Order: sequence, then structure tokens, then C-alpha cells
Amino acid sequence: MIDTPLLLSIHDWDARYDDLMARDLVEAGYGGRLSRHLDGGDYRLNQLLFDNSAASLRLWNFLLTEEARLAAARADGHTLVGAMKDLGTIPVMAYALPNVTAFYPDGAWWIPCVMELSAGLLSIADRMGIDESFCPVRAMLGAFVSEAHFPIPDLLICSVGATCDDFSAIAQRLQGLGYPILWWEAVHRRQADKGEDSVILPGGFAAPVAQVDFIQTELVRIKQALERQVGHLLSDEDLLKGISVANGVRCILQKLRFISFTAPMAPLPALELLIAEMLAIHYCSDQAESLVVLQDLYDLAKSRVDLGLGHGHIDDARIFWVNPVADLTAMNLLETCGGRICGTEYLFSHALDLIPEDLPPMEALARTALADPMIGSARQRAERITFDMQLFGAEGLIISKIPGASHCALESEVIRENIEESLGLPVIEIEVPPVCDALRSSLKTRIEALVETIKSRRK
Amino acid sequence: MLFAGVDAGSRAIKIVIIDQFCKIVASGVCDQGVNQTLLAETLLEDVIAESNIVRTELKYIVASGYGRDALEFADTTITEITCHARGVSHLNPYAKTIVDIGGQDSKLIRLEVEGRVRDFVMNDRCAAGTGRFLEVVAERMNMPVTDVGLCVVDADNPAIISSMCVVFAETEIIGLLASGERPENIVAGVQDAIATRIAAMGGRSVQEPVIFTGGVARIKGMDEALSVALKHPVQVSDHPQLTGALGAALFARERSGRLA
Repeated sequence: MIDTPLLLSIHDWDARYDDLMARDLVEAGYGGRLSRHLDGGDYRLNQLLFDNSAASLRLWNFLLTEEARLAAARADGHTLVGAMKDLGTIPVMAYALPNVTAFYPDGAWWIPCVMELSAGLLSIADRMGIDESFCPVRAMLGAFVSEAHFPIPDLLICSVGATCDDFSAIAQRLQGLGYPILWWEAVHRRQADKGEDSVILPGGFAAPVAQVDFIQTELVRIKQALERQVGHLLSDEDLLKGISVANGVRCILQKLRFISFTAPMAPLPALELLIAEMLAIHYCSDQAESLVVLQDLYDLAKSRVDLGLGHGHIDDARIFWVNPVADLTAMNLLETCGGRICGTEYLFSHALDLIPEDLPPMEALARTALADPMIGSARQRAERITFDMQLFGAEGLIISKIPGASHCALESEVIRENIEESLGLPVIEIEVPPVCDALRSSLKTRIEALVETIKSRRK
Repeated sequence: MLFAGVDAGSRAIKIVIIDQFCKIVASGVCDQGVNQTLLAETLLEDVIAESNIVRTELKYIVASGYGRDALEFADTTITEITCHARGVSHLNPYAKTIVDIGGQDSKLIRLEVEGRVRDFVMNDRCAAGTGRFLEVVAERMNMPVTDVGLCVVDADNPAIISSMCVVFAETEIIGLLASGERPENIVAGVQDAIATRIAAMGGRSVQEPVIFTGGVARIKGMDEALSVALKHPVQVSDHPQLTGALGAALFARERSGRLA
């Protein structure tokens, strides 16, 4: 039976949980009431509105138990690999090895939001001279120093070069604290010169073969380091199997995104879709379980669409969202203001594209890594956003920025101009810090005005 | 039948009441304060009383402005961005760009056909592009903010205010006064600084005709400073402080019709 989609507070979820349990809800080992996470200091959950489905409950519980999962992996003798910045490539390689758990310490950037600054991670970074003029990823430094959020990885791997200067500075500071990092260079993706061979990358960008070769050489170096760390050689056959599993996750996500963005009514709220997309990056430290969680969400979305159910109203403004927010409450605000999510580009679109399975696996991974939107030109990113906006039927665009965190000062303007010239659709920029309560009224006005603008243009 | 628009801004509450022919029959302005709902209700009652209107004649009320959600007596809310666009295009049907500078924020709104919003940019994070900057200089000059523009006509060499922050700019103003700079030149310099920030916010997207609204539009000299910074002629709207409330009243009339 599919219940009417509703948005619930975490406390309303307690009654909903009792109701589901009375109906014989089968939970994973990490299941339980959402409100229990408040005991661990995740106070921001008090401010969020959650989808009322069992599938969403599982998603949230999966997300919010990652620290326990990492601790268990360490206790079980797994090799812990901390991948940084590449967002979606190194974990594919790591999970192809036995008894390896990979995660992104960069993900600590959300801890200040979820714990409403109570963990003090930003303060620790402040004391190290990495102040608020840097990206909130600086929270990662605090997480390493406090050792209160994840076990210290056995191997730290970080891509640098074209990725993000800010992050590079923070990661170098981390290394300076005594955490050795295995760096690899991600070059700035360029067009092939005249007479130079090029290849099409996942997602449609093109790059010179020479750049793919270079990235592949770098990734082979990382592969060898992983093999040494684990004491096991990674065969092409095993890597291909790993790529196939990663593609399983990406495939479900592609289906989930498409059905959610194109349905007449939004089958899932913007917030849950954001969390779901994040699973593409490192599977919340459990690749197999992330497949189950996503399949549940897809089945739910499909059932709701088939039954004509959804959140909000059929005339809600269809909005494409660029860049993840530092404060999750901003995603709830979209629906509060009469909008719905209709496409996203959270700076890791390459982690959502299928990795080629008809190529030698290291070359396939190199092509995927080179498709990273962050290492190409802003115009290329804008073109992909424009294409996806048309694909999903979006009517307007929100470019979300984080104070101190834009890797390209010009990018928002380039995206705005591209959308205006190509599609003639309205674009707004918002800035969302890790806790945006004081800005809520201002954010609401901007998003509401965009919704009003979109609706007035329909007439 | 009458229709009211209430623009609960950060520094002032503005009310416009129109009749079914869109004619303004009453209006009023008061300072914003702590009890925003009470202040707005009181202003509405005062405007009604002064205009010999019977409350029951008011068929629909639209609230706008940053305090809009607090006004429970309103039938609905619409953002000030949409309301300014509507109000300005009613008064200036060919307007393409609106520059609205209020006490605590500033907006640049681009319009398309029939006064619909094409897009907008908004600054509510930095006081240097808002009326607050003029209030600071007025306090330093010991004059009402409404009068600071009067002396600009006598400016012969506008001072250069280099700070990007009002707090530090105030320090610069104190320094300029101490060094004997003429107040007229300081005020002109502050107006140029505000206009420059608005121009930066607008980028290359400004199209003529440019209409200037908001409380700051009533300050003499600001329109000229904006014209120079934007490199486009700027026209101060009729009722510049009331365009948001007027737009809200026009929407109230529309919504009332839909309900009927």
C-alpha cells in the first residue's frame, strides 16, 4: 500500500514510525526511529521536513549511521581509504579490492550543518588559520583533529590540480598536520588541438587522448598504492566487476532522477533526492546496501507516479538546482515556496554517468575522472546544465553558492548567461552558509520571487 | 470595492488602497518597528480613517515586503520583487529595468512584456548598496536623511569612499570631515559609492527605460549618481516609495476578481 506523500517533522516521524512498525515494516540493521539521531547531536534534523515513506526512512538511517559503519569496518579489519576531491572515481577502484571500505572525509563539510556547529569543527579549523574565507570543507580538518566522526583512514588519496584551489590548500594543511596524502593530478580538461586525437567522455564532454592517457597513468599509480596497502593485486577482471557494480548504483540513480524530475508531481522531495544522489559518490561506505536503498526509493517513486501521487501541487514551479547547499533546510524551502526539483547538477555529474564497460577498465576510469565538471571550463558545465534543463523540462534555475566555496568566480555568470541566451529562463543566485536560519527570510523571498516569475511566464 | 496592498519593508511600512479602476484612493507610510503586525494594522486603520473609507469596502488585501508573512490580516502574500514590477509597469508600461533601493536592501529587476519579471538580483547582505549608507552619513552630518540630498547640488568634487563596508566607510567619513572635506562632497561621494555598487550588481543586464523606486529614490541626487554609474538615464518613478504597495494592491484587485 502506498500512503499519501507528506512532509513530516522528525517528531511527527515517531508516530509514523510506530504506524509503519505496526504494519510489519522490515528494517535494515541500521534502522530505527529518526529521532534517535538527535541523541548523537544531529540537532539540525529538528529543523528539517522529511518524506513520510519507509524508503526515505531507510535512506536517512543509512546516511546517519555512516560513522558507525566506518567504525565497524575498522573493527572488522577492513582497509579504510579516504578519497578526497575526485568525487566518484577512486572508490570504484577501492571497492573492487577485498575488505576495503572507501569514504570521502570531505563529506565532513555537512557536519557543521547537521550538528548546528555544536561539534566545533569549524572552530578547530579557525584555530589552524583556515578561517571562514575558505570553503566549509575546512570542517574536515576539525574532524581529523577531533577523531570524533570517522576513523583515520589507512590511506589518504587526493586529486589536485584543476579541481579546487581552496580544497588543495585545506588538504595541504591536513598533510602538514601529519596525515600523509597520496596526491594525483587532475588536469584541466581542454578541447583537442587541431590534428590531435580526442575521445568522448561519459556525459558527452570531449577531451584529447593525451589527457586521458595522463589521467590513466596517474590512476595506475593510485591503483598500485591501493594494491600495496591491501596486499592484493587488482586484476582487470575484478576492476570490471567493480565498475559494473558502480554502474548498478548509477543506473538506479539515473532512473530515479529521470522519473522524479519528469513526473507531473514530484514523487520525492528535493531533500531526499539530494541525499540519494550523494550515494553515487561513495555509497555511504556500503556499496551493496546503497543499491538496496536506492532501489527502494526508485520503486517508491515509480509507485507514486503510477498512482498520480506526489508532493506539492501539479503547478509547482519546476526548478533546476545547481550546486549542493551547506544547510539542508534550504532544500525544504524549495517546496515551502511552491517549487519542486526538476534537475540538479551538484558538481559531481561524472559520478552519475555510466562508466564505459567496453573499454579497458583503467582507461574507462580515466575517462570518467576527466568528465568531472569541476575540472572543465565553466562554459562546458553551463552547456550540460542547459541540456539537462531542456531534458527535464525545467522552468527556472537556482545557482546555490556557499560562502567562500566557489571554485570559479566566473562560473555563476557564465551559467546564467548561457541559460538566458539558450533557453530564456529565469536564473537566481542564492548563498547558503552551513546554518542559514538568519537568512531564511531572505532566501525565501528570492525563491518565492523565482516561483512567482515562473508562474507568471506561463500565462 | 477597494483593494489594499501592504508593503512591510525593513525600514517602513507602506500601504496603498486602490479602487476598481486602479486609481489610488488612499496611501500611507510609517516606520517599521518591533511589533510589525500591529504597526501595519494601525497604519491601515489610520489610512482608512483619514480617507473616509469603510473597512468592509476593502475586498482583498495583499501583503508584500520582507515582513509580509507576519501580516495575518492579509488575504495572501506576494514578494516585493513581483509587486514592484507590477507597480512600476502600471505607472511606466515601457519600463525595462527597475532599480529599487530601500533602507536595508537593493534590487535590480529586469522586466519583459506586460511588466512580468524577467529576472532579478538582490543585495540584502551588504549595507553599502542600500539606504542604510545614507542614514549613516546623515547621522554624521546631523541632518535628517531626507535632507542629505539637498546639499549635493553644491558638491564640486565628490569624495572617494573606498571602503566596501559601511562600518569602515563611516570611519572614512569621520576622517574626511576631520580633514576639512566639505559635507556636500562627502554626501556626493556616498551617493556615488551606492550607485557604483548597484551598477556592479546589475552587470551588463541593464536596459532602458530604467525606473528608480524605493525610499532612496526620494533622495535628491541619487538618480543622477545612478545614471552615471549605470551609463543609462534613470527616471524616478511616481510615488517611488509606494510602488511595491501599489503593485500589491493591483494584485489584490486581480485576485479578488478571480475569487468572484
